[in-house]
Amino acid sequence: REENEVSEEVLVRDVLYACQGIDGKYVKFDVNADGYVLLDTVKVPRTTRLIVRKLCELGWLFRKVKGYISESMDRFPAEDVGTVGQAFCAALQDELSEYYKLLAVLEAQAMNPIPLVSEPASSGNYLSLRRLSVWFAEPTVKMRLMAVLVDKCRVLRGGAMAGAIHLHAQHGDPLVHEFMRSLLQHVCSPLFEMVRSWVLEGELEDIFAEFFVVGQPVKAESLWREGYRLHAGMLPAFISQSLAQRILRTGKSINFLRVCCDDRGWADAATEAAAAAGTTTRRGSLGYGETDALETLVFEAAKRIDKHLLDVMHTRYKFKEHCLAIKRYLLLGQGDFVQYLMDIVGPELSEPANTISSFKLAGLLESAIRSSNAQYDDRDILDRLRVKMMPHGTGDRGWDVFSLEYDARVPLDTVFTESVMGRYLRIFNFLWKLRRVEHVLIGAWKMMKPNCITSNSFTKLQGTVKLQLLSTLRRCQVLWNEMNHFVTNLQYYIMFEVLEVSWSNFSNEMEVARDLDDLLAAHEHYLHSIVEKSLLGERSQHLYKSLFVLFDLILRFRSHADRLYEGIHELQARTVACSLPSQDKKKSRRQTSDKSSEPGSWVSDGRKALTQRAGEFLRNMAQELDAVSKEYTTLLEGFLSQLPMQQHVDLKFLLFRLDFTKFYSQLHPVK
Amino acid sequence: ETKGISRLADTKGLSLDSFSPGMDKAIGCYDTAVQELIVIDDLMSALIGIEGRYISIKSVHGMEDCITFQVDASMDLALQELAKRVFPLCESYLLIDQFVESRSQFKNGVVNHAFAAALRALLLDYQAMVAQLEHQFRLGRLSIHGLWFYCQPLMGSMQALSTVVKKASANNCTGSAVLNLLQSQSKAMAGDNAVRSLLEKMTQCASKAYLGILERWIYEGVIDDPYGEFFIAENKCLHKDSLAQDYDAKYWRQRYSLKEGIPGFLANIAGTILTTGKYLNVMRECGHNVQVPSSENSKLMSFGSNHQYLECIKAAYNFASSELLNLIKEKYDLMGKLRSIKHYLLLDQGDFLVHFMDIARDELTKKLEEISVEKLQSLLDLALRTTAAAADPCHEDLTCCVERTSLLKTLGTLKDLETRAFSDDNGTEEPMSITGLETFALSYKVQWPLSIVISRKALTKYQLIFRFLFHCKHVDRQLCGAWQVHQGVRALNLRGTAIPRSALLCRSMLKFINSLLHYLTFEVLEPNWHMMCNKMQNAKSIDEVIQYHDSFLDKCLKECLLLLPELLKKVEKLKLLCLQYAAATQWLISSCIDIPKVEEVSDASLMSDKSKQWRSRSLSLALNKTTQNITVTESILKFEREFNAELQNLGPILSSNSQAEPYLTHLAQWILGIRNDQ
Repeated sequence: REENEVSEEVLVRDVLYACQGIDGKYVKFDVNADGYVLLDTVKVPRTTRLIVRKLCELGWLFRKVKGYISESMDRFPAEDVGTVGQAFCAALQDELSEYYKLLAVLEAQAMNPIPLVSEPASSGNYLSLRRLSVWFAEPTVKMRLMAVLVDKCRVLRGGAMAGAIHLHAQHGDPLVHEFMRSLLQHVCSPLFEMVRSWVLEGELEDIFAEFFVVGQPVKAESLWREGYRLHAGMLPAFISQSLAQRILRTGKSINFLRVCCDDRGWADAATEAAAAAGTTTRRGSLGYGETDALETLVFEAAKRIDKHLLDVMHTRYKFKEHCLAIKRYLLLGQGDFVQYLMDIVGPELSEPANTISSFKLAGLLESAIRSSNAQYDDRDILDRLRVKMMPHGTGDRGWDVFSLEYDARVPLDTVFTESVMGRYLRIFNFLWKLRRVEHVLIGAWKMMKPNCITSNSFTKLQGTVKLQLLSTLRRCQVLWNEMNHFVTNLQYYIMFEVLEVSWSNFSNEMEVARDLDDLLAAHEHYLHSIVEKSLLGERSQHLYKSLFVLFDLILRFRSHADRLYEGIHELQARTVACSLPSQDKKKSRRQTSDKSSEPGSWVSDGRKALTQRAGEFLRNMAQELDAVSKEYTTLLEGFLSQLPMQQHVDLKFLLFRLDFTKFYSQLHPVK
Repeated sequence: ETKGISRLADTKGLSLDSFSPGMDKAIGCYDTAVQELIVIDDLMSALIGIEGRYISIKSVHGMEDCITFQVDASMDLALQELAKRVFPLCESYLLIDQFVESRSQFKNGVVNHAFAAALRALLLDYQAMVAQLEHQFRLGRLSIHGLWFYCQPLMGSMQALSTVVKKASANNCTGSAVLNLLQSQSKAMAGDNAVRSLLEKMTQCASKAYLGILERWIYEGVIDDPYGEFFIAENKCLHKDSLAQDYDAKYWRQRYSLKEGIPGFLANIAGTILTTGKYLNVMRECGHNVQVPSSENSKLMSFGSNHQYLECIKAAYNFASSELLNLIKEKYDLMGKLRSIKHYLLLDQGDFLVHFMDIARDELTKKLEEISVEKLQSLLDLALRTTAAAADPCHEDLTCCVERTSLLKTLGTLKDLETRAFSDDNGTEEPMSITGLETFALSYKVQWPLSIVISRKALTKYQLIFRFLFHCKHVDRQLCGAWQVHQGVRALNLRGTAIPRSALLCRSMLKFINSLLHYLTFEVLEPNWHMMCNKMQNAKSIDEVIQYHDSFLDKCLKECLLLLPELLKKVEKLKLLCLQYAAATQWLISSCIDIPKVEEVSDASLMSDKSKQWRSRSLSLALNKTTQNITVTESILKFEREFNAELQNLGPILSSNSQAEPYLTHLAQWILGIRNDQ
């Protein structure tokens, strides 16, 4: 004992000071050793020195934790520590005050003198360094834990901080576990509060950008798609990805209802959800560790809000009706309307594009609606149907620029965004072209039919010419038939295999959709399947192009056929005029009209010249038809050979239909 | 935390470095009484791992847990000896303390944490005891003998713990290894009651964390195991959709698997634990929220000798399996699906098949490469929609496919079917032209979770049976066609031609194929199906259902001769003969009666114009004499010979095999019956 310069009581008191981060008389913080040490000048036994050093580890840890707390508190007004950071500091502060309490008790005990062997014993609790080490065992563990957390969380904020702390919560030591649990309860409460208000009120109470949902100002139409997103960095691990998605969507739905649908009904749904989940809409009713409660709350809220949103979409904004309307008008599902429109708009559209007035077309559209069954449709839907002229280049005809457009207003423009409408437009153009080709073919047939009947009357013609005439006519007929077969089947395929099937799938999916995302996905799927199957997709570009060349060829054929039949008609008129000047009233009438239109062209030439001319004309026509037919055959062959390469099974069915007798595959065996 | 440890190490290093001999006087110069006091003080420091004035701690370099204590040599010898007796306790303390510090780090896993926490609690008691001793010492009541006495009760347990700790840190044990070690140690030290109970308590504490993980798994199906200690591993790469394609059903069998290192007390029940969680997971994948009814005694508190934890696990297992079974049977209508599969794949639904065979005949008789599966699919849809099958809600799931190889070849390639003697006949000559008829098969779209039961493998087996049955049906139909041709010419006088003979052959072939079909459907498929249905009613878990279903399929495969290659080959041969005969019939008949048949039949039916009829008859009689007729007769006889020979061959094979496979006697009865009739 005699070699001790300082008494143990003094040392104990110094250690207690050091453990509060205060330099004592003999125990001071040494920067070099990075810890509290007993001054070298003090002469004490090595044992004491060691034990002091060991006990003062607590002081070192305390310094660290305390330093962090004061640092963040100082930073607070200037920099944003964030609510989670504040909560963390507060929780640490709580723990520290527990610790202060312990130190105070110890301090009181340290006042009692330590009994010495030489002196008589005095009563009362006293503190020796060894006793202190017993007292310090538990606080050291906690303090160490806090120091680790402080180290880990120094740079983190918000949800990321909660996540990092959560990662440390999984400890097998019951003491540590309990400690972490209570700490996390504090830390996470701001986060949970944010979730609650987001899910039930759609409010982002997040000044410091700590929440895992991030909002950004956007226009109403893209609110749903771009307005809010998840911030992966801020998502703590105890909230699963799917739960986070659901949380995001619920709040988004509320905001969507509020902004786009101008709806107030969601508040009831939210209250109901909270009641069902067993929590009130008060603040702070959720805590860490009650993941089940959170999940139930989110689940209930999501269910009700989503249902409400879908209700609003379906009943108030008539989503399905609009989809159907788009299908009927933009995808040409309403046959009589399309037929009529084609009839009345046709002549107008043959003009060059820059001479067409869109007002006139709008008027024509209106009359097409009036005179077809479309007139019984909802006025609201019809009002949205417009004519749209696409930008035109030089030499474009009206056919190339005409299209219909459907005006989807808020909130439906969330579904029918511009890019979606663009795709609809592409489909419309394709279908319109197909319709037009079909229309043209029907027109050709209308012209051919009466001529077929009358062609029997060409008995008077010379043998060779007659033969020539018949063969040309036949060639024309055959070609028409081929084209018609192709177009009809393609039309059938598009209308029934593509549009109707996709629509029925879409309706089914719409029925089972549980939230707006599902609905959007269903619509996307619907549109995608139409685009893919009707050759408009990326992969079938070639096919699409060759199809358009085919269409153009068919249109050209029409003009050839027109010329042919006009020629034949005229020829017929001449023949009648030459042989039987007045046989039939009807024919003579026509003859007079012909005459008046082309006075003195063929009549004067007489019969022989007539025959010669006729022969020449027919030869020319036959050659042209031959050329067309050859081109058509090669094009069609190209088209058919590309078909099997397509991915879609349905396209194989198209091939199967087009080539049901194996005519084409036998004609040109592929490979 | 690591910092703390390193600091501790620093402390120690520092202390060893700053050890300066000669700082004090040698202890020898004091009086013995004073020496005793100093030694007691030093020993108390040493007991909590701190060097004293005359007791120094030396750690042997390179080996962490090898620590020796040294006393100043000048000390009184008796005191030295006593001090040395206390040193093992100090050593143990140091070791355990180090262990506690290192194992509380996060990376060491929850079991280690819990173990360390229990050890720490023990050390705290120990330190408190040292503090008490100090108090006594300060009061002057402690002699070195007293110290020695007070240390006694701790000696044994600290010693035992330090052995455990040494072993644990030597093997770097984590998780269940720690538990196993503790358990084996407590068993090994069963003789010492105090130590054993201490170790058991340690095990208890250490396993608490582990049981927490276990609890989440068997009650929620969640693996909450951040440090990889649990004995069940999840393979996340396997997806449930893979069940529809994967022949081996890897998802079901390997998605969750047992790892190394199952704790000893769970070793027997590990399989049950695995399945319990697996079932719970299946239900979760189905979007079905399961809530295990929680009660007080379902808490996995301990794994004491009362086996309460085993009861809990069993209860959880029963709950999970019955719940899942209910789900699959009721909500997903397993039996309905199986019945529907039976309708189509086991040819239970007759009208649909006949219709399909009618409309798809042309497509099916094509060569393999020319068959368009899409066309077959559309024909199949047509057949399904126009027959009674349309009423079945499941008919949409039916698809068709065309295999690449013949039935025999396919059977050979499926290794895991117990294909006896398939390996040696790789040289089986492939029929030159297999058509769609041999390779056509139906398939069925099975959705999750039914794909657990109706796996790819099960479907393949169904398909094998289907292909066999389908081909038999085809042969049957062809023979029926031949029979019709025979009926058509029955009214004629056929005496002297080969036709009666041919009719006889046709009938015996028909009998053969009919009895084969009868055997397959009524003797094999139906009874087995009913047996399976009955068993399924009483099944307790989904694994049992799978097992019943699989064994049903295996039994059917076996009894349908598909696993007996030599027999199957004979049957195929017979069928081939039948087909050849049926194909030749038209030609045979028409060359016997060389008159356009339509006319003939109309003539015959009229019966009014006798002269005409007579003429025709004379004509046919006249043609009978031609050489052609002789060849016809010969070829019919040849068919008959071959057919009979094959049938004869079948007999011995059947009877020899029927020793081992009793069901073959049924078949033998049917088929050999034909021979007796002849």
